[in-house]
Amino acid sequence: MKKKRKTIPKKIGFNTWSSQFENIPDEIIKKYKYYNNDEWGIYLSPPATFMVYGARELKRLKFDNSLEALRMWGFVFNETERLFRARQINKKIIATMGDLGTVPILVLSFPDCVPFYPECLWWIPFFKESTELLDTASKLGLPEATCFSRVVVSTFYKKAYFPKPDLILASTGASCDDYSCVMQLVEDMGYEIMWTEIPYRKNPDFLLNKPRPQDYEKTQQGLPYPRIMEDYIVQEYHRIWQRLFKLTGVNNPHRLAEIIKKVNQLRSLVAEIKQLNAAAEITPLPGLEMMTIEFGNLYGYADFDEWLDIVQMIHNMVKKRVEKGIGVLKKDAIPIAWITPSADPYLLNLVEDLGCRIIETEYVINQAMVQIEENIEPMKALARSFINGSLIGSPAERVINIKEKIAKKIIKGVLITNMLGASHCAMETRVIEKLLGSVPVLSLDVPAPFGITQQMKTRIEAFVEIIR
Amino acid sequence: MELTPSEIPKTGKPVPNQDVHPIVSNKFLTGLIGYTCSYIPVELLSATGLRPYRLLHSELNLSQKGEQLVRVDACPLVKANLGFILENQKRFAAIIGSTGCDMSRRMLEVVRLTTSIPVYVFNNPRTDNFEIFNNEIDLLVKELEQFFHRRFDKGLIQKECERWEQIRQRLRQIDARHRANPSTISTATFHNIITNYYQGDIENIKFDVSDEMSYKPRAYLLGSPISYEANPIIELIEQRLRICGDFNCGISRGIYVTVSEKTIDGLKKGYYNQPMCIFKRPNKGYYEWIEKDIKETKSTGIIAYVLDYCDNFDFELLKMEKKFALPILKLKSDFSFQNLSQLKVRIDAFIEVLASHRAGIV
Repeated sequence: MKKKRKTIPKKIGFNTWSSQFENIPDEIIKKYKYYNNDEWGIYLSPPATFMVYGARELKRLKFDNSLEALRMWGFVFNETERLFRARQINKKIIATMGDLGTVPILVLSFPDCVPFYPECLWWIPFFKESTELLDTASKLGLPEATCFSRVVVSTFYKKAYFPKPDLILASTGASCDDYSCVMQLVEDMGYEIMWTEIPYRKNPDFLLNKPRPQDYEKTQQGLPYPRIMEDYIVQEYHRIWQRLFKLTGVNNPHRLAEIIKKVNQLRSLVAEIKQLNAAAEITPLPGLEMMTIEFGNLYGYADFDEWLDIVQMIHNMVKKRVEKGIGVLKKDAIPIAWITPSADPYLLNLVEDLGCRIIETEYVINQAMVQIEENIEPMKALARSFINGSLIGSPAERVINIKEKIAKKIIKGVLITNMLGASHCAMETRVIEKLLGSVPVLSLDVPAPFGITQQMKTRIEAFVEIIR
Repeated sequence: MELTPSEIPKTGKPVPNQDVHPIVSNKFLTGLIGYTCSYIPVELLSATGLRPYRLLHSELNLSQKGEQLVRVDACPLVKANLGFILENQKRFAAIIGSTGCDMSRRMLEVVRLTTSIPVYVFNNPRTDNFEIFNNEIDLLVKELEQFFHRRFDKGLIQKECERWEQIRQRLRQIDARHRANPSTISTATFHNIITNYYQGDIENIKFDVSDEMSYKPRAYLLGSPISYEANPIIELIEQRLRICGDFNCGISRGIYVTVSEKTIDGLKKGYYNQPMCIFKRPNKGYYEWIEKDIKETKSTGIIAYVLDYCDNFDFELLKMEKKFALPILKLKSDFSFQNLSQLKVRIDAFIEVLASHRAGIV
């Protein structure tokens, strides 16, 4: 019997992963499968597999060397295949757009319905190191100075990235203009869309008078909001429920309560991983993997149960690493906060390589990070969780956690990644810089693929020098 | 008698409404209540006794001032409005914004953080949701009543509705002349007239305008708001064309609101059912209105005026081209006048395209 070798945590490149993969026994490879299908659901592959299929950036990215992280990447990169498989086995594909985190919970409450977020495809041009989708968006008339989520129009146009959805649920309102415009163009292509309203979380600062206490409530995170906002959202969720009932012919409210429990389980695991990662002396998990885990909270990458299992596995691994005091970054890595996700994953690698560790994030998905109350009416509970949304209130509310950690001197600097021309980036960044003025803030515009220049690297290096 | 912000009572019991409207002076820019969106009823703002002042600025110096607070890629209108607000802080008793365009909504956040001007954000639903709009108007009424210590009773609302509707009616008559074939009033002139409406200086609107008959090619203007300072651009365009119709927040848009019932409910209906803004979802109604209006005005071409980073229009230019099947001159602008010569050439080329289109060549 072969003696099991201990793996020292570190970030490894593409080639190392390929050779390391050869040591993984077949039974492990066969163990992990999506939709619990033995025949075609296996997804554990080395990054080289996905590189061959076009994800060329994998060649220069660095990954955590654990089996847990490998499993996660295999699953995440396999999503397109998974969606097409879902269609083949008669599952219903539901595109949920714009709300980032809550509508999929309704979708998951219906049997054989698979929610997915087309906007998460904004990473594709970067993983593929290709401007194809961005160029197509330009040909389709979309302006270049906008959020990279514009590639969603191209993916709907090309019909190759996911099967034609059985239903498209688009949320818009007090949110970013860019994506609202993207969704409108998708509808104009002939896709039928069900629109739902995202109301504004009106902080009393944006009232002329002090509100009556009975008219206002606070979220779990302490964000004030008008009570009536709950009713608005609940009504929209009821409409979605009706639509899903019409689509499936099934109406099982108990299932919603079950799904909420499961979602809470996931969110709680992710919160713990984040906490462990931030508090550990040596960072147990790289920023890129951590970001991918956070975004899994949105919908579980189109197989919620499997994703939950993956996150549980990562959680166990992170816990062990922390207990042993081992990790992937240097002990003296400088703690920073990251605001707004980067469309280019390489940037997360780069910032860590230059000596930082990401210990707090605000990736515009706060609504998907909070616990959903289980002791009240489920629709109301969902509405109350959504009200924590990142983009439906003010920038001051977005950075409360980060400000607290700055005050406690836990965070030494803040990095904001922007998209040129994206509505909230253009308006929020300077305000956030002002709000977080007690530490250095570096604001970067994420360039198109291959756009990360030496100049940008020098800017990050200078930032690191200042905060060191 | 004019109210300045310092004179506005902050506490105390509501004072009885006064018969005399406080805006009696011609002195410009005092006692203002700023607003940002066509869905905010001007009648309610006016019922406070202040002058409703639509924020529609574009002057380059203002823009540069605004740029100190937001990124360079923010909407030029928002930047200039921020600059204007900063320069005129003391003149504003309050600013009422809306959740219309995202950048416009977020402008209020910047104002809140950098000035002491009280701000209010009206939650204007993006989808077809009258309930939210209805409740938001009720809330706005309560907020204004309480803050400005005025009771918006039936008499006051009726008076304000009649006053503003009468003005809009007279402006619509002028608009009819500019839409007529041949058009007898230029859009540049109309823009100058209607500026007083948006600035709340309605006592000084000059309704007597002499004819400016034109047989030039007829074009329809749509796109981002034409600012107060953008008149030279319209003048330049109209040296070769006649803009005989528009759907633009800085020109005719405001007067297409019709309030038939002179009550708060009437205001809700009138403002909610106004010709649809392009930012609404779905925005089919916007296209239906424009299509109808283009036919009615017998326009032979379209000028799409789009500010830098104005997503709501920028995303839809290609769709407009397909939908309206008329030549479109797309003018991207940051409000600067640096490219005037280039603009002249483009307008000339557009005239040629219009001629070819009429002749069936393109």
